[in-house]
Amino acid sequence: MVTAIRDHLPVLVVVAPLCVSFVLPTLVRRLRLAEGLTTLIAVIGLSGAGYLASLVLSGGGTSTVYSMGGWPAPWGVELVVGSAAALMLLTAAMVSLPAVLFSVNHLSQEVGSSNRAVWFYTLFLLLYGALAGMAVTNDIFNVYVLVEVAMLSCCGMVAARTDSRAAESALTYLILVSLGSALLLGGIGLIYIITGHLNMGYASQELSRIWQDYPRVVRLAASFFLVGLGVKSALFPLHVWLPDALSCAPSPASAVLSGLAVKGYLICLMKVLYNVFGGSLIQQLALDKIITVLGMAGIIAASLFALAQDELKRRLAFSTVAQLGYALLGMGLVNASALTGALFYMAAHAASTAVLFLAAGAIVTATGKKRVSELAGIGRKMPVTMAAFTVGSLSLAGVPLFAGFVGKWNLLLGSLEAGNWLGAAAVIVGSVLCGAYLFPVIRAAYLEPAPSDDKRQDPGWLQKLSMILLGAAVIILGVMPGPFLKLARRAAVDFIAVR
Amino acid sequence: MKIRDLILKRITTLVLPFIQVYGFYIIFHGQISPGGSFAGGIIVALGYIAYATAFGVDEGRAVVPEKVTTYAESYGTLWYALLGLVGIAKGVPFLANKLAGIDVGVPGTISSGGLIALLSIGIGIKVASTMVSLFFTMLEEEV
Repeated sequence: MVTAIRDHLPVLVVVAPLCVSFVLPTLVRRLRLAEGLTTLIAVIGLSGAGYLASLVLSGGGTSTVYSMGGWPAPWGVELVVGSAAALMLLTAAMVSLPAVLFSVNHLSQEVGSSNRAVWFYTLFLLLYGALAGMAVTNDIFNVYVLVEVAMLSCCGMVAARTDSRAAESALTYLILVSLGSALLLGGIGLIYIITGHLNMGYASQELSRIWQDYPRVVRLAASFFLVGLGVKSALFPLHVWLPDALSCAPSPASAVLSGLAVKGYLICLMKVLYNVFGGSLIQQLALDKIITVLGMAGIIAASLFALAQDELKRRLAFSTVAQLGYALLGMGLVNASALTGALFYMAAHAASTAVLFLAAGAIVTATGKKRVSELAGIGRKMPVTMAAFTVGSLSLAGVPLFAGFVGKWNLLLGSLEAGNWLGAAAVIVGSVLCGAYLFPVIRAAYLEPAPSDDKRQDPGWLQKLSMILLGAAVIILGVMPGPFLKLARRAAVDFIAVR
Repeated sequence: MKIRDLILKRITTLVLPFIQVYGFYIIFHGQISPGGSFAGGIIVALGYIAYATAFGVDEGRAVVPEKVTTYAESYGTLWYALLGLVGIAKGVPFLANKLAGIDVGVPGTISSGGLIALLSIGIGIKVASTMVSLFFTMLEEEV
C-alpha cells in the first residue's frame, strides 16, 4: 500500500484533489465535512509535494517519469517530476493550506451562504488539481486541458460573491481569458502540425531539426503561446482583468489567484518556451528581447499604477502584475542565474502576496474599510494581521532576510551576467517603488492614531494561524532558502540545458 | 411553461424511446465506433429535454429531480477516477487497461475495450446530467 502510493505519487497529487472536488457538490448541506475534506487534501498535498521534492533533492536532480496508462512517451501522456515540477508543487501546497485554513469558519460570511461556500471549495480543489497537473505534465495538449480547468474554476471563484461587481469582473475575465485559450490552442495546433508530437521532449527534438523549413509557423506559434498564456497570467500589457478580479474575489480566492493561478500559467509558458522551443531558438527568434522588455515595462509601469490606487486590494493587485514582471524578466534573460531568480521569486511572491491578500481580507472583514487612507491606527488593534502584512511587504520590497530578497538578488546577478544593465536597474527601481506603495500602509497602521470609537480586532484563531504560517514561510524562505533555492537552480539549469 | 398540444406530446412519446436507445447505443459503442460517451450522453439528455419541453418543466423536473442530476454529475466523474485507480491497485500505472490484467477481447467486437466501456458509461452519465442541469439552470435563470 505504502509503496503503491509512493510509486504513483506523481499522478495521485493531481487526482486526489480532483476526486474530492467531484464529491463536494453532493455535500452542500454539510459545510463542516466539506471544510474538513478540503483541509485534509491540502495537508496531503503538502506532504506529497514535500516527499516528491525530497526525492528530487536527494536524487541529484534526476526526474521521475510516469507514463499514464502504461503507454510510453511519444504515444502516451507523460508526467515528469523534476526540479521545476517539485518547486511548483511545493509552492502550490505551501500557499493552499493556509488559504484553506483561512476559509474555514469564515468563507460563508464572505460569499453569502454555506451552499456557496461548499461550491467555492469544489472550485478551489479543481484549481489545486489543475495546478498540480500543470506542474507535472510534459504534454502540451495536457497543458491546454489543465489551463482550461484552472481558468474556469478561477472564474467561478472570482464570481463567488453575490454582488454585481463580482459578476461583471468575472465576465470580463472569462471573455479575455477565453481569447487566450483560443490562441493557446492555435499555438499547440501549429506545433503539432509541423512536428507531429504533443510530448514536449519529442516536439522539441523535431522542432530543432525542422524549424528552418517553417520559420513563419514557428514564429506564429511562439507568439500565440506568449500572448495566450500572457493574458492568463496577467503579464503587463495584458493585465487589465486582474485588478478588478482580485479586488472583487473573496480574500482566500484573491490569495490563491494572485499567488498560484497566474504562476501556474507562467510555469506553463516557461515549460513551453524552454522545453519545446529551447533557449537557443528563443534567442534566434528574438523572443528573449521581447520578453525582457515586457518584463521591465511591467515592473515599472504596474508599480506606478499601484502607487495611484487607494483601494488596498487593487494596490496589491497591481503589485502582483509588477512582481510577475520580475519572473518574466528572468525568463527573457536566458541564463541560469536569472532563471533561478525568476523561479525562486515565483515561489517567494506566491507566499508573500498570499499573506498580503489574506491580511487585506481580514482587515476588510473586520472594518469594512477598503481604502488605504482609512487604515490609521489599525496596527495596534489587529496586531497579528498587520504583522503578517508587514512581513509580506518587506519580502516584496526585497529587504534582506525575507523571501523576496533571495529571488531579486539572483535576478540582479542574472541581469549583470547577461550584461543587461537596464534589467538590473528595473529590479532595483521596482523594489524601491514597491516600498513606496506598501510602506505607507504600514506607517498609517502603526504610527497614526486610531479613531477613538474603535472596536476592530484580529479575526478568529484559524485565520490568525493561517497568516502566521504564511508569514513564517516567507521568513524561512528568506533566512534558509536552501532547498527551494537548490530546486530553483537545478530547474533553471535543466531549462537552459534543453538546447 | 406549458404547451397544450396533443400532437406534440403524442409524437414526443413515440420518438422518445428511439432517441434514448440511440443515445445509449452510441455510448456503449464508444470503444469501437465514432461518437462515444460525450456524443451519446448529449443525445440521451436531448431526449429528456424534448420531453420536458413538450410536457412542461414541472413534469420534467418530477421525472429527474435536481438531486439526481447533482449526484449523477458528481459520481459519474468520480467513477472515472476510481476506474483509473484499478491500475494502481494492480501495481501498474494510473488508467492502465490491458496492463492491469483486464480482458480486452477480440478487436472490433463490443467487448473489446476492457475498462474503456466502463469509463464511457461514467462519462455518458456525467454529460447527460450536466446537459440536463444546464437546461434547467438556463430556464430558471438562476445564474
